[in-house]
Parts: sequence; structure tokens; C-alpha cells
Amino acid sequence: MFTLRYFIILFFGMLAQFAVAQTISGMVADQNHEPLIGATVLEENTQNGVITNVEGKFSLTLQNAQSNIIISYTGFEPKIIKPSGNSPLHVMLDESEEALNEVVVTGSSTFMDKLEAKHVEIISAGELTKAACCNLSESFETNASVDVSFTDAVSGAKTIRMLGLDGRYVQINRENVPHVRGLIGRYGLGYVPGTWVQSIDVGKGAGTVVNGYESMTGQLNVELKKPENSEKLYLNGYVNSFGRVEMNANHATNLNDKWSTAFLLHSNYLGTEIDGNDDGFMDLPKSRQINFMNRYKYTGERIMSQIGVQVMRDEKAGGQLGYDFGEDFKTSPEYGFMNQTTRVEVFGKTGILFPSKPYQGFGFIYSGAYTDIDAGFGRDAYFGKEKTLYGNAIYQNIIGNTFHQYKTGASILYDDFDEVYADSAFIRTEIVPGAFFEYSYLPGDKFSLIVGGRVDFHNLYGTFVTPRLHTRYQISDNTAIRLAIGRGYRVGNPVIENINTLVSNRQLVVTEDLDPEISWNMGGSITTTLQVGGKKIDLIGDYFYTTFQNQLIYDMDQNSNRVMIYNLNGNSYAHSFQIEAKYQLNEFFGFKTAYKYYDVRTTINGTLRNIPYISKDRLFLNASYATKYDKWKADATLQWFGTKRLPNTSDKPSAFQVASSTPDYFLLNAQMSRGFRWGSIYLGSENLLNYKQDNPIIDSQNPFGNDFDASIVWAPVAGRMIYAGFRYTIDRK
Amino acid sequence: MKYQVITTLSLLFISLAVFAQKEAVKVENGYKVEIKTSAVCEMCKEAIESDLVFEKGVKDVNLDVDTKILTVVYNDKKTTPETIRKRVAKVGYNADDIKRDAKAYENLPFCCKDGAHGDGHH
Repeated sequence: MFTLRYFIILFFGMLAQFAVAQTISGMVADQNHEPLIGATVLEENTQNGVITNVEGKFSLTLQNAQSNIIISYTGFEPKIIKPSGNSPLHVMLDESEEALNEVVVTGSSTFMDKLEAKHVEIISAGELTKAACCNLSESFETNASVDVSFTDAVSGAKTIRMLGLDGRYVQINRENVPHVRGLIGRYGLGYVPGTWVQSIDVGKGAGTVVNGYESMTGQLNVELKKPENSEKLYLNGYVNSFGRVEMNANHATNLNDKWSTAFLLHSNYLGTEIDGNDDGFMDLPKSRQINFMNRYKYTGERIMSQIGVQVMRDEKAGGQLGYDFGEDFKTSPEYGFMNQTTRVEVFGKTGILFPSKPYQGFGFIYSGAYTDIDAGFGRDAYFGKEKTLYGNAIYQNIIGNTFHQYKTGASILYDDFDEVYADSAFIRTEIVPGAFFEYSYLPGDKFSLIVGGRVDFHNLYGTFVTPRLHTRYQISDNTAIRLAIGRGYRVGNPVIENINTLVSNRQLVVTEDLDPEISWNMGGSITTTLQVGGKKIDLIGDYFYTTFQNQLIYDMDQNSNRVMIYNLNGNSYAHSFQIEAKYQLNEFFGFKTAYKYYDVRTTINGTLRNIPYISKDRLFLNASYATKYDKWKADATLQWFGTKRLPNTSDKPSAFQVASSTPDYFLLNAQMSRGFRWGSIYLGSENLLNYKQDNPIIDSQNPFGNDFDASIVWAPVAGRMIYAGFRYTIDRK
Repeated sequence: MKYQVITTLSLLFISLAVFAQKEAVKVENGYKVEIKTSAVCEMCKEAIESDLVFEKGVKDVNLDVDTKILTVVYNDKKTTPETIRKRVAKVGYNADDIKRDAKAYENLPFCCKDGAHGDGHH
């Protein structure tokens, strides 16, 4: 009888355990059983989290008793565990091999690091496969914060925008080295193959001072596939209805217990001439690219080191039908556009670890690159060479305990430019030593603060002082608010940044000595989770304001035969507002929707005006479907673009004038894939609704005449594109 | 005392019944079979599910780490419970009476090995 009663008690006891919210407690320690103070303990898929106290202990009430918890700490590998039973947990974290890397978790979709003070979204490997083609500029298709736009009707290049402003104000880093800048500032996104990318961090607003003074509206950091954990073999083949073919092959292996290596290879080819609108011009240039990287990683007891080399050659031949690779554009009967870019880069980082003090670290990040561009636009030639050396030494430690952390260090940039366009030469050598200090106050899970500053001594433009501040406050279990403010600087490259307007009769006219661009950015975001019918809706609202102390004005309005280039004289600002909702209907269907509002104005020739090509209103809608382990996957993104202002063409003959603004339009991209044990196959479409800009080229009949202009482009030039491909993988054991 | 013996005995029999190989039962979209495995952690769950989900004829897989029971829904025209059990063994786990493939077991991550979860640490 006793036993029966025992069982009844046990039975109800177990029921009770499932019925009430479970509170778990425990302690987080390192391998030597030393408590870790300030480690983050987070309930998975929620914003419900705590930080360990001075004894390394924590107590967390789970919203869902079945949830996993994620334990993370600077300098350690994060751990996901499923709490079971009522006994206190004793969690031991292993030290991370990468002392200075910010933790990047690759999951199945875009998510935000919930306890991070900066507004950072992470695009994971799973999300990246939703845009199967082809390079970095297409990686943002399912992300609402980064806008991808078209540059002109000839080069086929795409560029990004953030907060309503040109992509040149976004610092695009590759593994924490400033990458898409200088002479590859316009086409450089096309030189990072999508199959090399492991994850992308998208930071809105001013970024960290550790990576320099350049992030003005945002900071992207692209992590590439790593020697130590990438697939043993990854093969990807791709073909699309325009005739573009791509082959990608990655291989990674351990050489011994300390060294590992990865080879990344990309090639693409498009040889067909596509002219869907019958204007005699190719809608996309013919192109071919070979891109190769070999990288090594060394993992020792005290030293972690990486070194790699990248070699890239990209050729494009566009313009009028018939113009081909290698043809001399100065004498060809057709209007030719050509671009041959060669780039060689050596890059790496070395970290010194302190095994007994994982929060402490020293790292040195470096890169040396040579870029050579040989380009032609009609009868005009452009030659550009850039030699860049970059080094950044970072020391990280705590003050007393991990509630107070800091990073400090020094950097050096050597950047040598040698450019010739038409009859003008642009030569400059920048030498910029700088130093930074960034203090993080992390007293608990409710509040965090990062205060940073850097001073750089520019040999041509004097001292740059860059203060930045980020803070996060958790209002309730589900709601957090983030605020940020910071200054940013950059030195413009007027020819490269106007390369899209060179496919026209416009002349570049620089009317005065150009100064560095200086901006202040301030803003913030609110993230919250609502419960609707037992399901969660994640809401993110953000607002950012950017204002320029100086800006380079690329004025296309004064004269339709010119781009006037001068320093800002008056106001220039951008208001950006975005609200985004994410909803997971069930284990298969998820939805994401966003509305964006931009008010971007600058003083052009004495008048405060909206800047061209910006939609004031935009809508974004994404639906995704996936079965277990992505056996079947489907994804669709619909975007609506409100009307945009166009540059003034009223001084042209009436037949060649364009409207003052554009109609609104929709774009739809969709993809489906089927997974197998060996990889997957996929089929998709870009611009499925086949929306095209009518007559994108002004006076296309007469490309060497006075009115020709192929740079006024605000929508796709080529129509619907269908693509298919496969991915084949062999995993590491 | 008598009751206690009976209770204990009946519990024993119930347990035995649970551990014996289960027959497949007809469900809405095919047949369902429950297979007792040697999985011990979330990583085992992922290893088994992510392999079995791509097995021919398999419609759904779910492994309960606590009970170690793998539930598979399948199309009986394309596969059999025996084929599914053999596949589980090939991934490196015991499946009912089929012993795991020794080589596959060797290659499993440390936390999926026998005894990896015995010390109470995670």
C-alpha cells in the first residue's frame, strides 16, 4: 500500500513539475572550476535571460519548462543545454580558441544577439542559402535593414544602402578588416562569392571604434568559411536563364593537430548578349571571374594564428550589342563598356591567449592589398591602382571583474591611390595612425553600456576624433531598448563613387578641394515579443538620424551633361524609420514583414532637396516554409518600392527628358530547395513578376552624342530570371 | 508486503513490454513505428533525425532523448521497419535488437558515447 501511495505522489509530483513554470538555478565555471562572473544565461528563443553573480551563480525562471538554455561568456565557447530535474546545474564552459572573436552562432535564420548593446542582426548560413546567387550584394535579399539597388543600365552592378544613404557610408568589413572600400567601394560586393560566406553581422547606426572611423550609417562584418570547421568538400553549380554559369568549390582539412587549411574557389561566366528591351544595348554585361583563396589556421596552446591569400580577376564587357572582351573601346564601332579588375590580398590575424585568464587577450589583425582597375566607358578610359596596408593591434582585459571590460589598441592605414580618368589624374597617399579605447560596463542582464573613442592622425586631413556610445536597457522580460550615438569620417573617391554615371555623356566636374565627409549618427531601437494566440510575434522598431558636417555632393541636377562634385554647403540629413515583425506560425511556416520610411535631404546647389533614387516608403514581406532538417524548403520575398525622385533633365531636348519621379513597383523573388544526405538542389527566380524599367537608356540610338545617358536607373533593366543549382557537401569527421 | 511484490512484478512486466520491439501501427499518413535507440543527448537526436529524415520512404522522425524512443512515420510501400532500424545502426546507435555499426560509433562526437553523461556535468 505504501508503494502505491508513493507512486501516486510521484506521479502528481511529476505532473506538477510540468504544469508550473520551471525555475532553474546553478553555477557557471571554467575548466578549473573557477566561477565565471557576468556570464549570460538565456532561455532559447526568448529575451528571458540573467547574468551570473560574483559567485558565478544564477537563477532563471523559464517561460517554457521545455526550453533549452544558452550559456555564453566572453572568451568561451557558448553552450546550449536542456535543463532536467530540479538539482542545480553546474555548467562548465570551454575556452574559445579565438580569443578576440565576437561570438557568432550560426543558426537557421536571422536573429539578434539579445543581450548585445549594439543593434546587430546576424544573417546565418541558413538564411544565406535563400538567395542562392551569387555574391555579397545578393546576400541581403531576405534582410529588411539593407537595401540593394541598381546602379546603371550597363554595368549590371548592384549596390547597397542603409538608413536611406549610399552604401559608401556603411563600413563593410571582412573578418574585422575594412574591405569593400577605396577603389573596390562600388563593385567590391561582387568580389565576395556567396559560397564563401559563413555569416554576416549587420549593425545599424554607428559601429564600434575598434575597426576605425568609417562606419557612419552601419557596419557589416562578413565571416568567411574557416579552415578549422568548414566542410571537407563543398561543390556548388549554378546556371540561370540569362546564360550565367557558376562553379564553386571549397575544401578544408586538418594538416595536423595544430594546422588546418581551406581552399575556396569561385568562377563565373556569362557570354550571352541579353537585350530584352531592344535598345541595342546589353541589359547585363558579359562577364567572367576567377576568384581564389587559400587560408591557414594555427591553433597552439598560447597562440592562435591565421593567414591567407586571395587572388581575383574579374572582367566585364558590356554596352552595345557586339562589343566583346578585349576589344578596344576607343576605336570600336559600338559603344563599349569594359572593366578589368585584378586584386591580390594577403591577410591574417594572430592572437595571444592567456589560458588562465580567458577574458584577456591580445590580437593583431593585418592586411595588404593591391588593386588594379582598367576600365572604359565609350571613348573614355579609366585606370586605377590602389596599394593598401592595414594593421590593427587590440588588447582586451577586464577591470576587477568582468562587469568592467575594455578593448584598447592602435591601428595604422597606408593607402596609396593612383587614378587617371579621361584627361585628369588623381593621386594621393594616405597615412593614418590611430588609437582607440572602448569600455564596456556589463553589470547585469538589465543594462549595458559601451563607451568608445578613437583619435586618428590623417596625413592629409588632420586629426579625426571619433566618439561612440551604445547602451541597452531591458524594460521587461520581453522588451529591450537600445540607443546609440557616434561620429564617423571617410575620405571620398569621387571617380569610383560616380562610376555608374560614367556610362553617359556626363562629365565629372570637381569645383573645389574636397574635404573628408563627417557625419553624426544617432538613434535607437525597441525590440519586443508579443504573445498572440499562444504564438510569439517579434517586433523591432528603429529610428536613426544621420546628419552631415561635411558631405561630398554628387550633383546630377544642375546640368544633365555634368556631375558637379563639391563640399556640402548647408544642411544634409537622413531620417530612417523601420518597423519589422516576425511571426513563426508553426514548425513549418514563418513570416517576416517590414515597413520603412526614409526622409533623406541634402543641399544641392543651394537648395535643400530630396536626394534622387530613394523611395520614401518601402514594404517588405517574406514567407518561408521548411520541413525538418530542410528536406523541403521554400522562400518568397515581395518588396514594394514607393515613388523615387529622378535627377533633373529639363535642359535636354523634350524627347530625351525623363519624368521628375518614378512610378511605384513590386519585385518578387522566390526559391525552393530539396535536401538530401549529400546536399541539396534548388530552383528559383529573381524578379518573378518581370518588372522592368522602360527605356532605361536616354538616346540609346546615339551613344556618342550629347544626350546619351545610361545612368538614370531605378528598377531592374533585365526581366525575370530563373535559376537552378546544386550543393554537394562532404562533412568533416 | 504481498501488494508490494505484485506491484513490483507488474511494473517489471510493464517495463519489459515497453522495451520489447514494437509493431508498426497504421496512422493517418502511413505507418508509425517506435524504435528503442541508444541515443543519450541532443546531438544524438540531431545525428539520427538528420540522417533518417532523408531515408527513402520516411515521412517524419522524432527522437525523445529522455525515453530514447525514435518514432518514425513511413510509407510501407517504400520501406520497412527493418530497413529503418538498419539505417539507425549505420548512424552509430543500437536500434531495438540491431547492434550499432562499430565504426560509425567510433566517429560519433564525445558526448554521444557511452558514459559521457554519467558524471552529472553537462
